[in-house]
Amino acid sequence: MISQVFILSSKGDHLIYKDFRGEAGKDAVNKFYEMVTALTGGQPPVVMKHKELHFVHIRQGGLYWVATTKADASPFTIIEFLNRLTALVKDYCGCLLEKSVQMNFALIYELLDEVVDFGYIQTTSTDILKNFIQTEAVSSKPFSLFDLSNVGLFGADTQQNKVAPSAAATRPIVSSQGEQGSKNEIFVDVIERMSVVIGANGVLMKADIEGEIRVKCYMPSCSEMRIGLNEEFSIGKSQLSGYGAAVRVDECSFHQAVRLDEFDTYRILKVCPSQGEQTVMQYQLCDDLPTAPPFRLFPSIERDSGGRLLMYLKLRCDLPPKSAAINVSITIPVPKGSLRLSQELSSPDQSAELQPKNKAVHWEIPRFPGGAQLSALFKLEVSGLSAASLQEVGPVSLSFELPKYTCTGLQIRFLRLSPIQPGPSQRWVRYVTHSDSYTIRI
Amino acid sequence: MTDSKYFTTTKKGEIFELKAELNSDKKEKKKEAVKKVIASMTVGKDVSALFPDVVNCMQTDNLELKKLVYLYLMNYAKSQPDMAIMAVNTFVKDCEDANPLIRALAVRTMGCIRVDKITEYLCEPLRKCLKDEDPYVRKTAAVCVAKLHDINAQLVEDQGFLDTLKDLISDSNPMVVANAVAALSEIAESHPNSNLLDLNPQSINKLLTALNECTEWGQIFILDCLANYTPRDDRESQSICERVTPRLSHANSAVVLSAVKVLMKFMEMLPKDLDYYSTLLKKLAPPLVTLLSAEPELQYVALRNINLIVQKRPEILKHEMKVFFVKYNDPIYVKLEKLDIMIRLASQANIAQVLAELKEYATEVDVDFVRKAVRAIGRCAIKVEQSAERCVSTLLDLIQTKVNYVVQEAIVVIKDIFRKYPNKYESVIATLCENLDSLDEPEARAAMIWIVGEYAERIDNADELLESFLEGFHDESTQVQLQLLTAIVKLFLKKPTETQELVQQVLSLATQDSDNPDLRDRGYIYWRLLSTDPVAAKEVVLAEKPLISEETDLIEPTLLEELICHIGTLASVYHKPPSAFVEGSRGVMHKRLPARTGSGESTESPDVGAAGGSAPEAAPSIIPSQGDLLGDLLNLDMAPPTTSGPPPPSTGMQMGGMDLLGGGLDSLMGDESEPLGGDIGGSPAMGAGFGAAPAVMPASLNAPVGGGLGDLFDLGGVGMPMGAYIPPKIVWLPAMKAKGLEISGTFARRAGVIQMELILTNKAMSVMTDFAIQFNRNSFGLAPAGPLQVLTPLGPNQTIEVSLPLSTVGPVMKMDPLNNLQVAVKNNIDVFYFSCQYPISMLFVEDGKMERQVFLATWKDIPNDNESQFQIKDCHLNSDAASSKLQGSNIFTIAKRTVEGQDMLYMSIKLSNGIWVLAELRVQAGNPNYTISLKCRAPEVSQCVFQCYEAVLKN
Repeated sequence: MISQVFILSSKGDHLIYKDFRGEAGKDAVNKFYEMVTALTGGQPPVVMKHKELHFVHIRQGGLYWVATTKADASPFTIIEFLNRLTALVKDYCGCLLEKSVQMNFALIYELLDEVVDFGYIQTTSTDILKNFIQTEAVSSKPFSLFDLSNVGLFGADTQQNKVAPSAAATRPIVSSQGEQGSKNEIFVDVIERMSVVIGANGVLMKADIEGEIRVKCYMPSCSEMRIGLNEEFSIGKSQLSGYGAAVRVDECSFHQAVRLDEFDTYRILKVCPSQGEQTVMQYQLCDDLPTAPPFRLFPSIERDSGGRLLMYLKLRCDLPPKSAAINVSITIPVPKGSLRLSQELSSPDQSAELQPKNKAVHWEIPRFPGGAQLSALFKLEVSGLSAASLQEVGPVSLSFELPKYTCTGLQIRFLRLSPIQPGPSQRWVRYVTHSDSYTIRI
Repeated sequence: MTDSKYFTTTKKGEIFELKAELNSDKKEKKKEAVKKVIASMTVGKDVSALFPDVVNCMQTDNLELKKLVYLYLMNYAKSQPDMAIMAVNTFVKDCEDANPLIRALAVRTMGCIRVDKITEYLCEPLRKCLKDEDPYVRKTAAVCVAKLHDINAQLVEDQGFLDTLKDLISDSNPMVVANAVAALSEIAESHPNSNLLDLNPQSINKLLTALNECTEWGQIFILDCLANYTPRDDRESQSICERVTPRLSHANSAVVLSAVKVLMKFMEMLPKDLDYYSTLLKKLAPPLVTLLSAEPELQYVALRNINLIVQKRPEILKHEMKVFFVKYNDPIYVKLEKLDIMIRLASQANIAQVLAELKEYATEVDVDFVRKAVRAIGRCAIKVEQSAERCVSTLLDLIQTKVNYVVQEAIVVIKDIFRKYPNKYESVIATLCENLDSLDEPEARAAMIWIVGEYAERIDNADELLESFLEGFHDESTQVQLQLLTAIVKLFLKKPTETQELVQQVLSLATQDSDNPDLRDRGYIYWRLLSTDPVAAKEVVLAEKPLISEETDLIEPTLLEELICHIGTLASVYHKPPSAFVEGSRGVMHKRLPARTGSGESTESPDVGAAGGSAPEAAPSIIPSQGDLLGDLLNLDMAPPTTSGPPPPSTGMQMGGMDLLGGGLDSLMGDESEPLGGDIGGSPAMGAGFGAAPAVMPASLNAPVGGGLGDLFDLGGVGMPMGAYIPPKIVWLPAMKAKGLEISGTFARRAGVIQMELILTNKAMSVMTDFAIQFNRNSFGLAPAGPLQVLTPLGPNQTIEVSLPLSTVGPVMKMDPLNNLQVAVKNNIDVFYFSCQYPISMLFVEDGKMERQVFLATWKDIPNDNESQFQIKDCHLNSDAASSKLQGSNIFTIAKRTVEGQDMLYMSIKLSNGIWVLAELRVQAGNPNYTISLKCRAPEVSQCVFQCYEAVLKN
């Protein structure tokens, strides 16, 4: 049972405060801010306790979304609820910013009233909520499909590739103002996150992929949407199909609105999307990659005669030649006492710097095409360099984005809406893979 | 136009302006004004003065405006109860509105206005709304009953709302069902004894049906409610599990966890050999693994829960080790939790993989994490014997890095490895000694000192090493001081010739210059041991230590059971029972897993958990004022000269010390194989960690030493305050059956010796001579330790009392009842047979006090099937008195916790044949009936043990 819900700005300003059960005072808000800002890195911030009151919070859009409870409530419920709440606010207000929350406080109060009653969560579905919500959203500026100022998830290298710009998906779902409301758009995103550990000997030690299909729907009435996945899509470890070209995942879970009667035979998900954003399917693949891991590293590390540490790193991108990784950032932990770095990089758009505070070298590569190989030579001056210092180098971690690419090979074959929508409607399908945690040990 | 401007009106006379706007005729303007008021309210400005004006805006058909006004009302009605009445009419009217949205809105808002006066007006509208045709109104009304109950519980009962609410469980709309269940669950919590949520197979069936149809949030209410149900048998349990299992693949983790909770609980009732049981186990793993791909917040909460699940049922995740490997970008709190679970899952099958990971972690940047990783390597070595060698070499590699904190952690864990595998890895000691200087943390110093003391004979310069620590003795922490004292005494016992001076020095430092009673007491004990009987000292100090247990930080079994019932809640994150952090009435019901047998015996007493958290206090011990202790000590028959009162002049002490050691040394250097007579048991507390309450000691020492030490311990109040229970003598053999010889008797345990106390009466006319006694084989191998000592002939009408010492090394045969003893007595007339029953308590040995950790692990280890529960009626002792009474019979209280007036005593008993019996005794203040649960690997002894408890406590 939720006792209170409040939203604070990063500076601690009260944006929204709603008391559902009258069992805790409003001073809880300030107490929370005190506690959350006093947290040290090692303390789990998830559940905090002050006297009889328990705080559960998440951070989204730079804001604190907090729920309190006095009972032995379920933190899972509360965290899931807060995540849904942020999604709802995003759906209704367009984006999650301090300003949009502040502008739409009346709407958010109204939402909260319908979503939670006496601490019991009632519903978080936009389909049901749209029957009740009266207040209209206000947005700070008119949205335009061509507004590219807000480059986000899918924003990089877009236009020429017919990828919908990210700003198109950051507007309120319900809006009756002018031409915005009549835009019939639907976005289907396939997002994968990969975590990989490659051992010092180059052996793949661990490779997990977590993926989801997310639908963001702006259509006011859409009775059914059929999402066709690759036909050779298979679930579970035992299933082996055909020539091994199958797209395989270990586990799959679906939004409860998804109907699966055609899934087993035709790999078609049937869903009646509510307005707004929802994750229709989540899947995982553990300990297996259908293709080679996207990056491999060939390091050679030694001490030179001048007492410097030489790191010669060759990095190869094993993506198919048509794909490319963007925003590749490589972190190489270096011995403590590293003073200066001099580097030789293979192309001018790359950059590298030593961050003594983190004891690490950061190497940035804006774009890394598949099949290419880049190399870098780092010379480090380290005070008190010893044989043991070499052990302090590594493991190397990478973060990157692979646009238009899914590691599992999952593809959306088709997207059909029925009945056929009157007027023009646009359907966008986007793919992206992110690195969640990509570690190469040395 | 945006709303943000509302936040910026800070001009003077703002309230006045708002008042004017609120009273404006234009709807738009009114709406804007109310919004401004609410904006001020949010940032904490007091706008209660506008109450009448805002209420005036209430009568409108604009739903948006109405909602805003209601929002204001909910906030301020409490502070303006009289004014709030003004709004009642509108509420009542709105409850009749044609628009269901308005009806629901009115009944929802009215419930939120926590003003007593309003509640009476609420009843009628609420009654109507509960039967409304629109499900949206009904579901809102259902919650409103809970709100009203919170304000005025009596009113809700009087008005019969609870019955209406119960009816709603059968509603056609799943949302209504879910809210009714939620409301009833909450109300039921404040009426623990009411049967509000009458869960029976029919209502469960309804709930399971609604489960498939309602929203994800409703599913959570229903699953949580299901978790409180106890199925009648394993078949019902299985059918519920089958219907709950599909929830495991839900995308909402809260639904998944609530389903896991139900399954974990109901699984307990399924027979383990059932196919479905193993199917279910397999199904539980994937959803738990999935949780680990969520946001770090959810991951953390999930890991805390998995930690509990892994302790209860490690088999679920035993193949999923890899998912717990840490990612470099995991937040530290997630990393630490993962590490903990990795160790719990470590087994021979996966140890190589785990070790490779741990080694990687040990070179990371984060200090806390690295420390825990190093410690984890040690725990692996202890847990998986086959890996010990690998772990040790990994640790040595890490020590070579010379990273200070890594070295210190490594030394601490190597000490544990030595204790687990003695005489195996001592070759590494040299490497450890090289790092002596870099140790600056007490725990690492203490560990290193322990190692030096323990292996003093293999370290050439052990005396120098220890001496170097002694220089700064007073600056060390207690932990190090205690360890240093013990280590030097060990060294002395091993190399008496060259270390005499050192041991005198440390004894005087510990006994005279220290304010710490633990240190001083330990100092005195060693001193007296060394002076009285150095050989005995050697036996005690260098006694073989019990091996340390594998799992060190397990959660107490009863607490774990309770926490399993709270999976997915805050309790599972804090690892504390809800009663420890939820106030008052709510959530104090202790939950317990259902018993597999379904006999109902253990489920009858749901109050098991405890508020004390995971750290029960040590056994209660009374420490007399220091003056007495010291004074008496000094008056004892030993060396230190009697000086009145503490502290004694140091010279006197020194001299005493000299004497003492002089004498001691001789006998130590003399014949080491001198027989000791008594059984100086391996007291687990002595060697390494001489703890606070050495209750084990007194009786296990033989007479000369035992006398003095017994006194010492009696002063401490932890010895034998009551004495063992001795049943009254009864007639075993009536004269009629034995040609005039009447035998009555009893059994006793005195100073560790079992005695059969007999009264022989000659009721015949002739003199009886030549007595002898023999036992048939019996369950515990009791046999006379010597002949029956009847030296003089027994004349007619003469009576003689004899006490016959018994040993437990005779031939064994299981008897029925277990404690039956068949005896043959012979005299000059004939041989007579009789049988008698001995109280099993006389077999309880003096070193039956288990270490707490061992207790926990053992309790967990013994299958639940071996647990039996008994009631002891009409016992009027409080728990402390009971505990000390039981201790007299060698039933040792290891820990005590108190929960809401109920004391839980955890006890251990060791039988002479090495069988351990663990007990949990629950004593409720004011209630003369105790409940006792006994766990033992040989469950057949439980009945006898229970009889002893009853006999001891009632006498």
